[in-house]
Amino acid sequence: MHQLCDMEPRVMDDDMLKLAVGEQGPRDEAGQLAKQEGILFKDVLSLQLDFQNILRIDNLWQFENLRKLQLDNNTIEKIEGLEKLTRLVWLDLSFNNIETIEGLDTLVNLEDLSLFNNRIAKIDSLDALVKLQVLSLGNNRIGNLMNIIYLRRFKDLRTLSLAGNPIAAAEDYRMFICAYLPDLVYLDFRRIDDHTKELAEVKHQYSTDELKHQENLMQARLEDEQARREELEEHKAAFVENLNGSFLFDSMYAEDVEGSKLASLPGVAELMETYKDKFVIICLNIFEYGLKQQEKRKAELDTFNERVQEAVQENQAQGRHRTAEFEEKHLLSLSTIRGESELTDIETKIADQREDIAELSNALMTLEMQLVEQLEETINMFERNIVDLVELFIENVQSLMAQCRDLENHHHEKLLEIAINILEKIVKGELDEDLPDDVRALFVDKDTIVNAVGASHDMHLLKIDNREDELVTRVNSWCTHLVDKIHKDEMTRNRRRVKEIIQYGDHVQGELDSLECGDILD
Amino acid sequence: MEVLKEKVEEEEAAEREDAAERAERGEKMMRLMEVRKEETTMTQEMLRDLERKLSEIEVSIPEKPSTFTKDTIDISKLPLSYKSNTPKEEHLLRVADNFSRQYSLLCPDRVPLFLHPLNECEVPKFVSTTIRPTLMPYPELYNWDTCAQFVSDFLAMLPLPDPLKPPSYLYSSTTVLKHQKGNCFDFSTLLCSMLIGAGYDAYCVNGYGSQDLCHMDLTREVCPLTVKPKETVQEEEKAPPKKYAIKPPRDLSSRFEQEQEMKRQEEIKAAEEKRRRQEEERLMEVDSAKTDPLHGLRVHSWVLVLSGKREVPESFFIDPFTARSYSTQDDNFLGIESLWNHKNYWINMQDCWNCCKDLIFDLGDPVMWEYLLLGTDKPLLSPAEEEDNGANDDDDVENLGKEDEDKSFDMPNSWVEQIEISPEVFETRCPNGKKVIQYKKAKLEKWAPYLNNNGLVCRLTTYEDLECTKTLEIKEWYQNREDMLELKHINKTTGLNIDYFKPGHPQALRVHSYTSMQPEMDRVMEFYEKARVDGLIKREETPKTMTEYYQGRPDFLSYRHINFGPRVKKLVLNSAESNPRPVVKIIERFFRNPAKPADEDVAERVFLILDERIQLRYHCREDHITASKREFLRRTEVDSKGNKIIMTPDMCISFEVEPMEHTKKLLYQYEAMMKLKNEEKLSRHQAWESELEVLEILKLREEEEEAHVLTTSIYDTKRNEKSKEYREAMERVMHEEHLRQVEAQLDYLAPFLAQLPPGEKLTRWQAVRLKDECLSDFKQRLINKANLIQARFEKETQELQKQQQWYQENQVTLTPEDEDLYLSYCSQAMFRIRILEQRLNRHKELAPLKYLALEEKLYKDPRLVELLKVFV
Repeated sequence: MHQLCDMEPRVMDDDMLKLAVGEQGPRDEAGQLAKQEGILFKDVLSLQLDFQNILRIDNLWQFENLRKLQLDNNTIEKIEGLEKLTRLVWLDLSFNNIETIEGLDTLVNLEDLSLFNNRIAKIDSLDALVKLQVLSLGNNRIGNLMNIIYLRRFKDLRTLSLAGNPIAAAEDYRMFICAYLPDLVYLDFRRIDDHTKELAEVKHQYSTDELKHQENLMQARLEDEQARREELEEHKAAFVENLNGSFLFDSMYAEDVEGSKLASLPGVAELMETYKDKFVIICLNIFEYGLKQQEKRKAELDTFNERVQEAVQENQAQGRHRTAEFEEKHLLSLSTIRGESELTDIETKIADQREDIAELSNALMTLEMQLVEQLEETINMFERNIVDLVELFIENVQSLMAQCRDLENHHHEKLLEIAINILEKIVKGELDEDLPDDVRALFVDKDTIVNAVGASHDMHLLKIDNREDELVTRVNSWCTHLVDKIHKDEMTRNRRRVKEIIQYGDHVQGELDSLECGDILD
Repeated sequence: MEVLKEKVEEEEAAEREDAAERAERGEKMMRLMEVRKEETTMTQEMLRDLERKLSEIEVSIPEKPSTFTKDTIDISKLPLSYKSNTPKEEHLLRVADNFSRQYSLLCPDRVPLFLHPLNECEVPKFVSTTIRPTLMPYPELYNWDTCAQFVSDFLAMLPLPDPLKPPSYLYSSTTVLKHQKGNCFDFSTLLCSMLIGAGYDAYCVNGYGSQDLCHMDLTREVCPLTVKPKETVQEEEKAPPKKYAIKPPRDLSSRFEQEQEMKRQEEIKAAEEKRRRQEEERLMEVDSAKTDPLHGLRVHSWVLVLSGKREVPESFFIDPFTARSYSTQDDNFLGIESLWNHKNYWINMQDCWNCCKDLIFDLGDPVMWEYLLLGTDKPLLSPAEEEDNGANDDDDVENLGKEDEDKSFDMPNSWVEQIEISPEVFETRCPNGKKVIQYKKAKLEKWAPYLNNNGLVCRLTTYEDLECTKTLEIKEWYQNREDMLELKHINKTTGLNIDYFKPGHPQALRVHSYTSMQPEMDRVMEFYEKARVDGLIKREETPKTMTEYYQGRPDFLSYRHINFGPRVKKLVLNSAESNPRPVVKIIERFFRNPAKPADEDVAERVFLILDERIQLRYHCREDHITASKREFLRRTEVDSKGNKIIMTPDMCISFEVEPMEHTKKLLYQYEAMMKLKNEEKLSRHQAWESELEVLEILKLREEEEEAHVLTTSIYDTKRNEKSKEYREAMERVMHEEHLRQVEAQLDYLAPFLAQLPPGEKLTRWQAVRLKDECLSDFKQRLINKANLIQARFEKETQELQKQQQWYQENQVTLTPEDEDLYLSYCSQAMFRIRILEQRLNRHKELAPLKYLALEEKLYKDPRLVELLKVFV
């Protein structure tokens, strides 16, 4: 198949890459410069490695910014070593010996993929290539038309070539592809005319419709799930997830063996029912309150951010204005100094300019310090407010949780009463109904039954406590994180600005100095 | 001065005398003529004085003092209602006379009422019936301001025959419109008719006006077009300090000093104010130097529009002469005698000592306004008073008798025909399509569109002085120009011309301001940037620079400033045109390109072409205050060995906000510089092209100015020749189509029905016979036609055969010409035969179909259907 087959396979080593980069780099004067400086692999945007008799793709990890890679007409058997080339847009692997499509999962920017003339039998593992527009799979071993359906997921796919595959021999080949890939514009390097499209659509309407329906269903399900997940996320942000129902109540009984046993006692079912209702109502109260509080906190944070942003913007505008003004003056004076011939004049002018620079950096620094002071005050105010809000929230939630506990206590007392009544009845032998054996086992003596009820009660209280603790810790940690972050952001902002000012001052100074040196040299 | 004063007094006395005389005689004579008569007896000096005075006073009085007298009016064509009174009108006149008598008895000291003047046919008509409410078909005339403007433009003003009395004649609007002139009563009657027609609550007013008002003298008014609209400075509302708003930095300046400074400022301001006021007062004195001896006696008529209808928020007056609106408090309106609309007549019972300022226009209040007829719809009472009225009902009991009598009578319909204004006349507007108005320090001239062949419709000349000798500026408005020129503004003092264009100029020009049409001078051109491919908004030029502003370009260019150096003298070989000035410096600024990071997005680049220096300034990052800079020195140098130095680190000085690795590389810098070099070339080319474009535009403008072609709208059916032709062609086609249809609808049964006795109902037998006859006749026709075609076909064939035979026989002896003749005959004959054959075939095909169609038609014929149904 390949003319180079009998040659010794070559290894993709540094020398080969360097040679290729050097050959394909800039020409003429720029080439001289490039040679002088050397080209870093990570600056290379396109690389051509065809007819090199390469067996294994290797050593490409440095080419981070590569956009176009040509590896055609080699003897590559496996797609590998391309994981780092995430910026790749254009990949040519035609005329190789590849058998399966693989190793392309990181190439999310790929738009043009050529696997022409390989040994591929199945189209898959292309899921990551969401931007794929051109796919060339001609002269391969694809034999099943159902492979086409896999390509429906690429919404941008416009050009496809499959000629030279076993499927291309099928009489329905063109029609089938046109019907299943209606957005396709070119098939096997030929434009699909509208007439063919219509025909194909009519011909395969039944099956494509079904497929579409399924896809729509799937899409809807995914969207539903997404929405649900988002909702939960939102609740979590409000720290009240799973409180808008009987989740907490159910979880209380989930691990409670005795509780469920006791539930089967006569009279307990009704008790449980009312208990659950009341409990759930309180949970809902907590939930709603939590959401409301979350909104409040968010609004507070938003106004804070907005104001801070405004203040910073205004300050920046002032700073920019100052620098722009200075810049103009600076440029003017530089050119006058350049044009000046008298040495004394130059010196006085340079001195003046120096003063100006100092003045500018002073002004900028003052502005910055002023802003820092102002922001500090505002941040402190915000901190106080947000902490207050959080505390209020915790307090209220705790009181609601206390209500839950009260309910549980009440329920416990009732349950105990019923249990003791039944025990008495059992002792007296007056019990009418039959109890299951494991339940009857609880009613051996008073201690056992009291312990059992108590254990169930403890379990429930523990669950409630846990939920409360979780909520409180999370909201507190959120609060501290937030405040920390604001402080840190402000600090980094300040440092950056100071650095910027100093850097600018240095640069301007440097310009002046170089001018001075030049003058002295002249 | 003494003499002058005396003269003025004398003149005034004469005027007064005249007025009195005229009031006595009631003659229709012009005051001006009288004055002129006086003039002849004066000395030369006085004459000059007087002339100057007069030129000031009576500018707007038309030269030909003509009222239109009866003999100019052709009354023969007027309808009967103009020439006689209906019984109802007679009744009304009697009621009016009665009312007038009562009124003069009750108020002996007031002037007689203006109730029923004579019309053009010498018939007394009640004033209210002269108002003919008409809604005009022109949308421009739907609002009061445009409507009033139209009336004032359309009619030429005639002064009242007697300035102290209402006229004795009041013509119908028909006549007034026909002659396009009238006095104030004619004006207000016409305007009132149109306004009521448009739904306004409008009234004609008979009252007293100032001299300026009565003479349509605007020389003391400021021209409304020169008044600049007051710029409403919208002070931005300072939002109340919100939560978390940062506190402003502490103010460390001395408050005492500020106060002192403020005080001083105020003092200066006060002094200025005082000076200004004095100046104003002085001007005022000059202005109001002359007073009118007949002040408060001059009769005038105008229109009152009451609030309520058509969303009019407040009552106001319209002066029909000038189409200006005045508040009811205005100084020019000195009193009201009476007012009327098409339904009723009211007399003002309020005192007018303070002009019209204290009048209350609550026509429903009989104490203030005495009405003539108890109208069906009592004009509005303010809601508060309505309740009062209810309470007062008992007091009105004594009036009830009188009211009852009147109640049986309402205003008869107007005797005037519908007001009609033809589109041509409407467009021409002013008499002869031209009008001149003199304002204070300004003159306004108006023309009808298409009257001037350069499209000029309006010209406003502003003067520096009151005598209108020194021109300050001229504004000329144009319409329908092909070059879309809309307004030309010429400032005589600075010599600055500004042309404004409507969208649609071939070069998308919007505004062009210049002092001379020579290139490379100060000029500003503004463009409709949406219409231009390059998004140019504005191009400013001075002799040495050119600045261009752009918007919405894909390369985000926003500004380009080019400095030119002095032109280099070239050899004579080159013509002057191809010698552009050398470019010294180009500054280009760009908008932020959101697709690029700020550090790579150039904000400004400066090409210092002589220095071979390129300066780049990048956009500022979002959270930074300094921007990256880069400066390239393009000087090509040679190193010690004589090799060309391609790039050295000191050829590019850069400041980076966030130093990056790859930009330090020489290769990167070299590539950037190469790119910039190319772009510099492009920019220079652009500059050159801009210069060329300016030249081109200037040339185009000159051509346009010379040609001044006017366009006609495709909807303008009268002027647009093309559309007229098209329309006529369409009409012709329609007409032909119509004729054909008439033919097609020929009654096929008619000849057969004619054989039957007329008027009798058809019997079934007759119907069947009729049908059969009709069909057989048709069949015969078809056969005849087929035979005819056949016969012609055969004839042609025979002819051809004959010719062929002849040809066969004489083939040897034939000249080439004859042969040609024969051949052409053959081909023609063959063609004819073929056509005949086709026709025959077609006829054969269609004949049975036609026959069947007729048969079916006959079955369905309404005359036969009943009788033939049985057989179907």
